[in-house]
Amino acid sequence: MTSSIRIRIRRSRRAALAVALGSVLALTATACGDDGSGGAGDKGNEGSGKGTITFWDNNGGVRTDVWKQIIADFQNKYPDIKVDYVGVPAASVQSKYDTAIQGGGLPDVGGVGTAMLAEVAAQGALEPLDDRISGSPLNGKLNATFLEGVKAAGGDGRTYTVPTSANNGTLWYRTDLFRAAELDPPTTWTNFYKAAGRLTDKGRNAFGYTIRGGEGSIAQALDAMYGQSGITSFWNGDETTVNDPKNVAALEKYVGLYKKDTPSADVNNDFTKMVAQWDSGTIGMLSHNLGSYADHQKALKGRFRGVPNPTLDDGTRVQVSNPVDGLALFRSSKNKAAAWKFIEFAASHASNSRWNRNAGQVPANTEAVRDAWVQSSEPTKLAAEALNGSSTKIVQLPYYLPDWNTISKSDNEPNFQKVLLGKLSAKEFLDTLADQLNAAQADWKKNRR
Amino acid sequence: MITEIAPAPRKAAAEPVGTRTGRRSWDEVPRWQIYVPLTVYLLFTLVPFYWILLFALRPAGSTSLVPWPMTFEHFEKVWTERSFGTYFTNSVYVGLATLVLTTVVALAGGYALARFDFRLKRGFMLALLCSQFVPGALLLVPLFQIFAKLSMINSLGSVVIAETVFQLPLSMILISGFIRNVPYSLEEAAWVDGCNRLTAFRIVVLPLLRPGLVAVGSFAFVHAWNHFLFALMFLSDQGKQTIPVGLDTLMSADSVDLGALAAGGIIAALPVVIVFAFIQKWLITGFSAGAVKG
Repeated sequence: MTSSIRIRIRRSRRAALAVALGSVLALTATACGDDGSGGAGDKGNEGSGKGTITFWDNNGGVRTDVWKQIIADFQNKYPDIKVDYVGVPAASVQSKYDTAIQGGGLPDVGGVGTAMLAEVAAQGALEPLDDRISGSPLNGKLNATFLEGVKAAGGDGRTYTVPTSANNGTLWYRTDLFRAAELDPPTTWTNFYKAAGRLTDKGRNAFGYTIRGGEGSIAQALDAMYGQSGITSFWNGDETTVNDPKNVAALEKYVGLYKKDTPSADVNNDFTKMVAQWDSGTIGMLSHNLGSYADHQKALKGRFRGVPNPTLDDGTRVQVSNPVDGLALFRSSKNKAAAWKFIEFAASHASNSRWNRNAGQVPANTEAVRDAWVQSSEPTKLAAEALNGSSTKIVQLPYYLPDWNTISKSDNEPNFQKVLLGKLSAKEFLDTLADQLNAAQADWKKNRR
Repeated sequence: MITEIAPAPRKAAAEPVGTRTGRRSWDEVPRWQIYVPLTVYLLFTLVPFYWILLFALRPAGSTSLVPWPMTFEHFEKVWTERSFGTYFTNSVYVGLATLVLTTVVALAGGYALARFDFRLKRGFMLALLCSQFVPGALLLVPLFQIFAKLSMINSLGSVVIAETVFQLPLSMILISGFIRNVPYSLEEAAWVDGCNRLTAFRIVVLPLLRPGLVAVGSFAFVHAWNHFLFALMFLSDQGKQTIPVGLDTLMSADSVDLGALAAGGIIAALPVVIVFAFIQKWLITGFSAGAVKG
């Protein structure tokens, strides 16, 4: 063997050794990470009630500060427990849960709203909480309607989350424009349609209303439909009421606003565009929820109000249920005792009040809902009254159907756009929706057995 | 060895004005026919950017169409309150590490593909191409499980490796194209002068690959910089998140701070714009060179 070849071999051995060493060092350096255990099949255990737990916030970013304050208070009260906060963007939380359920790495506690509860619970990832709630100081202090909604959304009659707050559909309107046009507040559907027409002046780029035609359009359309038809139940036996003739007529009237009293670009409106447009333009009314209060406050301070879904002329208010947010205990948690302490603390009077005050939503804790800030925040107070009032009938949407999100979003949002554009009739749209819902309900019932 | 060089094409200006083909020379075209369409196109492209700048620079709640009075409150908010400083650092780390790793491995793989004949080479190339059709989301769960076994979940290393793996097939194919364009005789000449293969590659081939390396490296950096999914899924610790995930957290389920979102968007876009401004010359050379032989 020549000396040059020997040198080459020695060099290549050195290179191989360096690569191997580098790999070992790299793997060692990263070994401090999470091992990712904790998938849906893991039953977990109660643990010592001490140590570290992980909490996934399902609306990370916007609510991060308030959660960090609550966590700091919790850690002061329970110095043996450390909470690792993970803020997950709201739009991606479902995928994050789904990946962790399949691949491992679920948290101990996580925020799970009713809109996604069925899917997460159906995969066996959540711990039923009925027994824990009944033996907790929270027992009797959680809004009964919210609890009922959470139980219904779980799909099997068990409670999988401790409700923390609820949003509510709100009709925001511009008080300055209403005053100038000498219009009554849109508290009834009659006033609503009258105002929509009177406030529209296309030549001045002024519109009475902005309709949601893009992402999230179905829930809003259902709210308007049931609100006008006065039908109070989503199901009549095993058949949905969405295509009831009264609902068809209500939807026809509602979509008739498009282009007549709304901007034509509304066909693509998701909530971001809709809110931005209302906050910066000359539009009389906007249907959204309490969540956009802070945005309106920045742009239109003193020039707007928010009321719940308008009533029928006899004063009856019918609205569809809004997602109830809650905290879930994950089945795979290795420290369920500590995790439950955190849930109890976060849903307690003080923490729940603080969180909802920050978010501008309706507290689930019945003591928190009586706090002064709720009484002084008009939209939240009205929403709380609507949610608890006897004159309000709430149509429970079938969040428990595993296919609900698909049906109410990807399957039918494009069809709703066709209705707005006049390419599909309201009846055809609702008949298709009804067929899909009836099939999903039958499928759910069959599998439940 | 004699290398024939093709004669340079004549300049277009040499073509007589008003030829029988009916084509007009550049000077004959009225200026408005050039500038009006270009201006319309430019407006169409730049108005959304102006809108972002407007939201980022005007005070919250303002409906003015010009960013005046100008404020940097949104930038300050996202950088400090919303931790964009940390996200930015993490994104720089992920971007640069992916760039280095992708380029180094693609160089080695590309060289093998360009210079060696081995069994199943065509099959391997086909597999590389086919891997481009597999979306990252499809491999999310297996990748998650692999990283979990390696205790790499919640480590920036997992994102770097995942990004590199997804960048490698295209980068390797591109680099092999660039290497094929470098005459083999240059390497042979270096061997004759006493270099081994690695030294010849480093001294002779590598400098000629600069445009290709810039193209591949910038692609790897920009892709890793903008990619959202792996960072979202593999990282949980707030202090390890990257810019795209940070941007997503600016949009809640029912409220959006448009000023902060616009400021965050500008912070996210700025490095990519700067990178492209500096490398565009090499990038265009690189792609055209790689396109000669694929």
